[in-house]
Amino acid sequence: MTKADTVAPHLATDILADLLGFMNRPDAGADEFNDLALRLFAHQFQHNLAFQRYCRQQGKTVRTVRHWHDIPAVPINAFKDLTLSCVPPDVCERVFMTSGTTRADSRGRHYHPHLQVYDQSMKLHFAARFMREAKRMRMGILFPTEEMMPNSSLAHYLALARDAFGAEGSEYFVTPEGMDIHRLCETLEQVEHEGKPYALLGASYSFVHLMDEMQQQGRVFALPPGSRILDTGGFKGQSRELAMDEFYRQLGASFGVPASACINMYGMTELSTQFYDDGNATQPSVKSGPHWIRSRTVDPLTGNDVPAGERGVLTHCDLANFNSVITILTEDVGVSVDGGFLLLGRAEGAQAKGCSMAMDAFLQAAAG
Amino acid sequence: MSPVLSQAGSCVQDPCLAVAGYVPGIAAHDMSWETLMFEAHGQRAEVRVPRLTPTQLETVAATVRAAAQGVLASMPVMEVVGIIDRVVLRMLDTNHPDRQEIDRLLPIISGFDPEMTRLGINASLKAFRRHQSLRFLVEDFGDPGLLDGFRPRAKGGWTRACGPSLLAHVWAGNVPGLPLWSLVSGMLVKAGNIGKVSSDEPLFASWFARVLAEIEPRLADALAIVWWPGGETALEQVFCRQADVLKVYGGEAALAAWQRQLPAGKRMLAHGHKFSAGLVSAAALDTRQARLTARQAAMDMVRWDQQGCYSPQVFYVERGAQVSPQEFACHVAGEMTALQHSFPRRALSLEETRAVAGWRQGLGLQQLRGGQIELLGPADAPWSLAYIDTPEGARPGALNRTACIVAVDTLDEAVRWLGSQQAFLQTVGLAAGPEELFRLASLLAQAGATRICALGSMTTPDAGWHHDGRFSLLDLVRMVDIETSAEQAAEALASYRD
Repeated sequence: MTKADTVAPHLATDILADLLGFMNRPDAGADEFNDLALRLFAHQFQHNLAFQRYCRQQGKTVRTVRHWHDIPAVPINAFKDLTLSCVPPDVCERVFMTSGTTRADSRGRHYHPHLQVYDQSMKLHFAARFMREAKRMRMGILFPTEEMMPNSSLAHYLALARDAFGAEGSEYFVTPEGMDIHRLCETLEQVEHEGKPYALLGASYSFVHLMDEMQQQGRVFALPPGSRILDTGGFKGQSRELAMDEFYRQLGASFGVPASACINMYGMTELSTQFYDDGNATQPSVKSGPHWIRSRTVDPLTGNDVPAGERGVLTHCDLANFNSVITILTEDVGVSVDGGFLLLGRAEGAQAKGCSMAMDAFLQAAAG
Repeated sequence: MSPVLSQAGSCVQDPCLAVAGYVPGIAAHDMSWETLMFEAHGQRAEVRVPRLTPTQLETVAATVRAAAQGVLASMPVMEVVGIIDRVVLRMLDTNHPDRQEIDRLLPIISGFDPEMTRLGINASLKAFRRHQSLRFLVEDFGDPGLLDGFRPRAKGGWTRACGPSLLAHVWAGNVPGLPLWSLVSGMLVKAGNIGKVSSDEPLFASWFARVLAEIEPRLADALAIVWWPGGETALEQVFCRQADVLKVYGGEAALAAWQRQLPAGKRMLAHGHKFSAGLVSAAALDTRQARLTARQAAMDMVRWDQQGCYSPQVFYVERGAQVSPQEFACHVAGEMTALQHSFPRRALSLEETRAVAGWRQGLGLQQLRGGQIELLGPADAPWSLAYIDTPEGARPGALNRTACIVAVDTLDEAVRWLGSQQAFLQTVGLAAGPEELFRLASLLAQAGATRICALGSMTTPDAGWHHDGRFSLLDLVRMVDIETSAEQAAEALASYRD
């Protein structure tokens, strides 16, 4: 029983049951996706007034939205400016916040009345794409714990990975004092010796720091066959920037895990579902999600699909976002391909070519 | 347009071919060459640019320096003015095949509308005809003869102005024709000029150099146009070491990077990112004037698609006239729509589109939070305006024909808002009566503006303008004084002394 149970009408309990059932049926069809999307949209339109105002501003109402494509995509910045929740924020079990800025009031907030859907979404897809044939594996996590970062969706995700899929001996190597490289190296030596597959999971930049340190100490490992690595989030200015193929080449050299067994997860605080690739032997790798999330590449101004093969901004319709908004407009550039999309990085503000000031530079100047 | 990689399956046939760069003293076959590709208006262009080695760049710098010292330095400034005049006249000649090639290529390279490009280039060139160059000189020196030799000073002694032997330029590629200002400035002070063009627009400066060499072969070695992709430290270091004075156009990060590489004691003249605004007084908002004023405001946004430092990014409009600020905003929207037919906006990159989308989304979210904001026009229009009914700070647009039109009770209030961007404020386009002009000008001067012009003229600065409040020529030179004592002492040693 969660606090949110007292506001059941806003929780869409009938839709939830259908949603959880839908998520469990990989063979569910496009029509079912569309029906659920429209039901969730109507629910969110009714119970989330900020979202309703946004839809009306975009000239969209329940009557004009006939297909999940028509659902207004909410720019991720709106998670900073608006309260996007069908239930009152104070009854939510968890609020995930975006990182990247020091001003707390400008962090995006994603309200979760409970984590039942989020957790099921994570577990179903993580099992299929990262664990594959394995039920449990020993894991090393290069990220702070959930207790250290209670508002981090990634911290929760990794905690879930360890609890639901980690074998005995799975542990965190980031403490409030930083990364415990000494203990990690000891563990990896032991793993090498024992010969059972091992999984290292963490933020992409943590791996860079770790590899830099290992290089200084002149250490390399050859983890047992079947071992794998999951990295996520890019470098975000937290470590040196690396070309992706170089990053996976170095992971291979440092841990003996081939690029084909290095999985990159693409996730966002504003979503309740993650995307994965099937290894990084070739770059850029194709990212894809489960059947309860659908992505498009659009012109960010019009929201229309860009022609096949052209770069566009990614927009995702994630049914697991049952309490906030199911369709979001990201700032990520991608290209749709067979079986998913290529993620080409963040669409930074346009670089001013000359002497007219672009907004980003202006904002930086204003902040500095 | 940024250079694009050629894409397989492109439907465009037969790209226009061109060569950029101008490197005296090194044979074409001794240099390696790269090709920059551009695509716009359904056409492709391939521009070959030389890629020098650091040693070659040293050689070119030495060649230019020597030619400037050997020929240009001893040329009377009036002769230099005459040469520039002939070069510019030739570049203005639309019947000449070179000009026709430029008119064909620049729109593909820059993406700008061809007619807008043609008009813009003419406007830039016209600023360097003989009489304009003279004004330019007199503006900074009073007596241009100071550049030829020592001139007597009224209070005794003599002075002359010496340009640097080698003036190095780093140009941005935002507006074609921009390199003219600093190139001509360098020539007028008789400097050897070596300019690095941007990958975004490598052609215009190269064209000037080739025409100059043709019109005045004696100056063929006194100028070089080079290129390399940004971040080539070895070449940048040569550039900085060789230059006597370095003039850089670009963003804060680029300026800082150049400054770091410049040896101590050398001067860098920086033109960083700027912010410009329009002010519309109630006097310009009667039913007869308002439409004209709106058209002028729209033209300032349309020209070069707001890529210039002088392009307006916000308009403050005074309440209390027959035409309200909101009605004025609607007039501007109408003009933007109309001007799209004459001067279509260039195709935007995904990054530029996202900047515009992000700008609109930000305003939309502010509106949802209760802001008095109205977004004018459909999301997919090739322009975007926001009418804001409550005064606020000088919020920049997203470039490419986007701006906020903000209602204010008085323009004095607007000047206060602009003052919050003092460090970045450059041009203010003003539509106001004569008393207001001078009263507001004083306030704007305090607020940091360096140029006040008519609305509608923001993108065509006068020849001899004080760009970013500085002297275009005077900042380049070193003044040399002969003091009275030297003259008197010399008299005492004359053969005819008593």
